[in-house]
Amino acid sequence: MLEVAQQAVDAARRAGADYADARFVSTESETLTVRNQEMETLNRGLSQGIGIRVLTGGYWGFAATARTTPEDIERTAGLAVSIARAASRLPMEPIRLAEVAPARGSWSTSVLEDPFTVPLDEKVALLMEASRRLQGVPGVTFGEASMDFLRRRSSFASNEGAAIEQTIVHSGGGIEATAISDGEMQRRSFPNSFRGHIRAAGYEHIRTLGLVEETERTGREAVELLSAKDCPSEVTTLVLDSNQVILQVHESVGHPLELDRVLKMEEAYAGTSFVSPEDRGKLRYGSDLVTITADATLAGGLGSFAFDDEGVPAQRVTLIDRGIFQEFLSSRETAPVVGGRSTAAMRADGWENLPLIRMTNINLEPGEGTLAEIIGDTKDGIFMTTNTSWSIDDKRVNFQFGCELARRIRDGRLAEVYRNPNYAGITTQFWGSCDAVGGAEEWVLWGTPNCGKGQPGQVARVGHGAPPARFRDVQVGVR
Amino acid sequence: MADPVGPDEVRAVAEAALELPGADGVEVLLMHEWGGLTRFANSAIHQSTGREDTGVRVRVVTEARTGVTATNDFSKEGARSAAASALEMARVAAPDPLYPGLAQKAPVPERPGGFDEATAATTPEQRAEGVAALVGELRKGFRAAGAFETGAVEIALANTEGQFCYAPYTQSTISTVVAGGDGSGTAEKAASRVQDIDPAAVGARAYRKARESQRPQDVEPGRYEVVLEPMAVDTLVSFLSYLGFGGRAIAEGRSPFSGKEGQRVCGPSIYIYDDALSPDTIGIPFDFEGTPKRKASLIEEGVFVSGVHDRRSAKMAGTGSTGHALPPPSPEGAFPLNLFLQTGDATVEQMIAATKRGLLITRFHYSNVVHPIETTITGMTRDGTWLIEGGEIRHPVKNLRFTQSILEALSNVEMIGRESELASEFFFAASRVPALKISSFNFISASDH
Repeated sequence: MLEVAQQAVDAARRAGADYADARFVSTESETLTVRNQEMETLNRGLSQGIGIRVLTGGYWGFAATARTTPEDIERTAGLAVSIARAASRLPMEPIRLAEVAPARGSWSTSVLEDPFTVPLDEKVALLMEASRRLQGVPGVTFGEASMDFLRRRSSFASNEGAAIEQTIVHSGGGIEATAISDGEMQRRSFPNSFRGHIRAAGYEHIRTLGLVEETERTGREAVELLSAKDCPSEVTTLVLDSNQVILQVHESVGHPLELDRVLKMEEAYAGTSFVSPEDRGKLRYGSDLVTITADATLAGGLGSFAFDDEGVPAQRVTLIDRGIFQEFLSSRETAPVVGGRSTAAMRADGWENLPLIRMTNINLEPGEGTLAEIIGDTKDGIFMTTNTSWSIDDKRVNFQFGCELARRIRDGRLAEVYRNPNYAGITTQFWGSCDAVGGAEEWVLWGTPNCGKGQPGQVARVGHGAPPARFRDVQVGVR
Repeated sequence: MADPVGPDEVRAVAEAALELPGADGVEVLLMHEWGGLTRFANSAIHQSTGREDTGVRVRVVTEARTGVTATNDFSKEGARSAAASALEMARVAAPDPLYPGLAQKAPVPERPGGFDEATAATTPEQRAEGVAALVGELRKGFRAAGAFETGAVEIALANTEGQFCYAPYTQSTISTVVAGGDGSGTAEKAASRVQDIDPAAVGARAYRKARESQRPQDVEPGRYEVVLEPMAVDTLVSFLSYLGFGGRAIAEGRSPFSGKEGQRVCGPSIYIYDDALSPDTIGIPFDFEGTPKRKASLIEEGVFVSGVHDRRSAKMAGTGSTGHALPPPSPEGAFPLNLFLQTGDATVEQMIAATKRGLLITRFHYSNVVHPIETTITGMTRDGTWLIEGGEIRHPVKNLRFTQSILEALSNVEMIGRESELASEFFFAASRVPALKISSFNFISASDH
């Protein structure tokens, strides 16, 4: 399909584009959900088409179509150029792209077992068994098990000479127990909420998850939460499990360091950022223990690739180094504005959307110690695990996040369970209060497949690696 | 940019899937959508896009087992291939004991005026002129960001029971945030016809708010009277709908309205209903199973009436579909897409005058659920929040975080606006709500801007 992308680039140039790139993308998906041993969803999807992006007179234009005959491509390329010309109705500083050597190559996710060739009945049988066991836990109202698979093939060409083909494969699965009684509803998920643990991998990832093996504990905890006390309202020490640390990284580090937000390009919708270009190398974002990277070169992340969607090679970038802010997530357009190079963070949702600055794999780098050791080192506090809810202001300062389950930490041991836990804070104060970060042995690379941004709305699949971590003087039990 | 393919071609593509051998029932949902979105920031057009997409979504049933395959290959071969894939899925699925059968052939109500040719044919140049008019309302020191979108959709549903529905319609929306100094303001407008959008008026309104938001002051978090403008009310009503009005969630005990039919759930002045056929909203006259739409009363005089149903949840509840099915697969079941909160007789100015000490709120940002059964959500204020004292606006305030039960808020409504505004986040869904004055609303913390 690289030829189709190249045809589109040629058509755009003929129509008057100064710069043109095109992506032909084909996305296959498969979703399975079983609840109480009934098939809730069993569906496949295929979406393919071409997106053509042009610069004409220093203005962007983008047009996309699912219809990919030569005539449709010619028409769509012409539309992209018309859109760019129309943009000049409101004058601005012409867009200048950072120089990038035109890349040529191909890359694929490392897959041991193609999830799309694993027989459907094998997948269904596993989900049915997990659902049956969840349902068998006394007090569980709904036992749900799910799997999701995605394969995206993309071909990128530009008039600068780039020619790239990439195939990514994502596989994920999870279980969820819901218990309902007396006007209260509680859920427990494994390995994570919102359909489990998704990685860039094949079906071999599903086989490692232990979905059936974890049903008893997951169901029991959901039922236990029903009769637990609400998380008390207090200022205390908070230990977050790895699967909640990634939400904290996503919302209060990843998004505010997107350079398009900083440059007010997202002001109307997602918002801006409290971080400014002048903060590089100066702003204390967190404690000395907080080092955060953007690493698209990692194997297995939902933000792993060889080239971003404007052909820039994948990179590992230190965003925050021992607490000090260092670098933004950026693009060929935005990086020169602040005097830098693209950090290869331009990613598009399918063929039909233009690339935006998105997270790749944004990671809290490991420190030392296990979760048990962090808890053992905590005299009094609260432990929270598994995200349920997130809310943060338009500059990413004031946040409130909720979790499925909390437990009191008393004299270094986990004690009673609390339900409906949440906590709140101010971004830099919160990261500044971090006084323990777990070691590499507790570091997990999770997937966040539902990150929304842009107009028209796009959904990005991003990766986050993190160990558990501890934070002091945090407001919990917000009401 | 594109032309409608029309009902004849749509039907021809659908029939290729309906002819699938070996199935007890086949349902095909077809879509063709096209349009453009001119996005602007820093008072310039920075991300302008055009798009044409198609969709064929086939649901196949055999022995009460269901499989679904979607493709954007809008051709007979694409439809045939999707149907075969869906049948393969259905054969390994477990039978659904609540499978209700496909919708029977039934007439679909007319919904005149849904498709406007001028809107469907809007050019990038026309949208750019609109953005220029909006930006032209601003004075030096202020900038505008936002999006001006125009689009058209053809949607059709066909099944092996003989049902065939087809509806083309159009939609146009413009929204903006105007910012400058240390304040910001917002405004938006949605309509079926682009001619009914006045970009300059939207720009002027957002600019006025931004100008009046300068030098915001701190206020202590706590409980305040509030005057919520329609954008803020839309957040409350939309989350209430998400949490509670689906018939399946109600039947399964997951809704705040489970077991509450006929009971008072909020103040007696509150009426909420869904009506896709109203000329005051943007909707289609059938649902995604092919059931004709009809008005559904959800809350009357503060009393919960009933939820909405697709065919499956209707069977669970022992009733009929209300015409609120979502596209398959829809594990959460039915959902109301055209909500109305009934208007009252007050103006926003009267609400402000009746407020002793409270807050005037333009909109909420990034809200999310805290406790679904208690209908508690949290979120931030944004783009225009002011302190009211003694019936007058005193000064703008820095943004606050609220954590509040929606039903509790709707139990404390003292005044309801006489005008309503249409909010539309995406195709198929639009809600129309007025402003509200609420006697007590819970704010738990503040931000720095």
